[in-house]
Amino acid sequence: MKKKYSLFPGCLMPTEQYAYELSIRETLPLLGVELVDVEGFSCCGEPMKSVNQLLTVYLSARNLAIAEKHHLDVFAPCAMCHLALTECQHILEENPAMKERINGMLAAEGLQYTVKRQVVHTVDLLYDQVGIEKIKEHVKKPLNGLKIAAHYGCHIIRPSEIGRPDDSENPQKIEAILKVLGAEPVNYPQKLDCCGAPLLANLPESALTKTGQKLQAIQEQGIQGMVDVCPWCHKMFDSRQTKAGETVAAKLDVPVLYLTQLLGLAMGISGEKLGLELNLSPVEKLQLGDVK
Amino acid sequence: MSIIDLTSMGEPQSDLRKELNDRLTKLQDEISDYCFQCAKCTSGCESHKLLELEPHKIVALLKRGLLNELVNSDVIWTCMTCLKCRERCPQRVAPVEILFALKNMAVASGKQIPGKYTGMLQSILSMGLIQDIQQTTTRTNKTLKRDELGLPPLSKPIDVVKFQAGIMKIAMEKV
Repeated sequence: MKKKYSLFPGCLMPTEQYAYELSIRETLPLLGVELVDVEGFSCCGEPMKSVNQLLTVYLSARNLAIAEKHHLDVFAPCAMCHLALTECQHILEENPAMKERINGMLAAEGLQYTVKRQVVHTVDLLYDQVGIEKIKEHVKKPLNGLKIAAHYGCHIIRPSEIGRPDDSENPQKIEAILKVLGAEPVNYPQKLDCCGAPLLANLPESALTKTGQKLQAIQEQGIQGMVDVCPWCHKMFDSRQTKAGETVAAKLDVPVLYLTQLLGLAMGISGEKLGLELNLSPVEKLQLGDVK
Repeated sequence: MSIIDLTSMGEPQSDLRKELNDRLTKLQDEISDYCFQCAKCTSGCESHKLLELEPHKIVALLKRGLLNELVNSDVIWTCMTCLKCRERCPQRVAPVEILFALKNMAVASGKQIPGKYTGMLQSILSMGLIQDIQQTTTRTNKTLKRDELGLPPLSKPIDVVKFQAGIMKIAMEKV
């Protein structure tokens, strides 16, 4: 059965975290997921929640209304976007007065939010929609027991009351995917620690310290690498790893990949197609395929 | 339309403050009442060790009516929004949501917005996203942009004037 979603890119992935988008576009269609590019999306609104919560709800509703206009469900690969869109649905479904108010504003662009469509993230799309068995069929180059730490990201596991892709205290879906790819997922005490990214806007030093502390713990435990599933987390753990190391006075060299990059490598796709040349952490240490 | 319109939600300010005040009074009277200061929120708080945020104390201060002090304090801007306090509170108080309301209140009452929030908001108004396409550096120090990687065009609002008109309504709506 073919699954079809509009790809909701958000802000960070399509403007700088290109490796996530490249690896999503390479892997998911091979697993039977059709990704549709839709024009006109905007920011999900989550980055503005501290400034004006109504703006967050409005922007999310606007994006959901665009997907609805195309009769499509939504795939949001960013944890922040996924939370904003899901929470917006929750608010509009629970509060008819707010729904009416928001729809009044959406009329300026000829849009309407009427039905709750499915909103998925990379983790539940792979685990629940594609399924472990199907992924297994596509593994051509198993990862030979690489010891990998999974980083979920706060916004895809909490708050559970509105429905999240995995459990809030003991998420295991990424681990299950890693296992089927032939890697060895490692349980570690800092698994649920935040990447720090939400503080980038106003307290960047503290944000990087948070990043550095988690990476340092992973390094000290001899874990070979880390996977993440959010462009904000990846920006911290991979793109800014050197800077994060400076804040904790440590030389960090933890290979960090998007889960979809590791998935692609196990499926036999070249590192170049998966955007591995864009990872700034020492991914060559994992000695996977053609990754230099 | 400017940032000022959006953050101050237009005129009259007093109505806006009243509405936000009502929202916080509700939090103060109904929600913080349930808090029995077990400090489970603070024990798991991602910002606690690093920035001394103590969510249970925020709730206690709100309960005691120290609203203006909280709104004017920098500590409300240290929350990492990890949502652990909302998830774990045995009384469903959700300090993270109280902090969002306090920050919204600080912005609406004309206090300067810290850090890059203003820039991100400006970018959303002008092109729909928090930033435009960035140049990225590869492992071998090449610089690349989206199109050079074979990625399709960026999805963003097509008619910016209409997009702004929608957001303008929020400015007029007074939260």
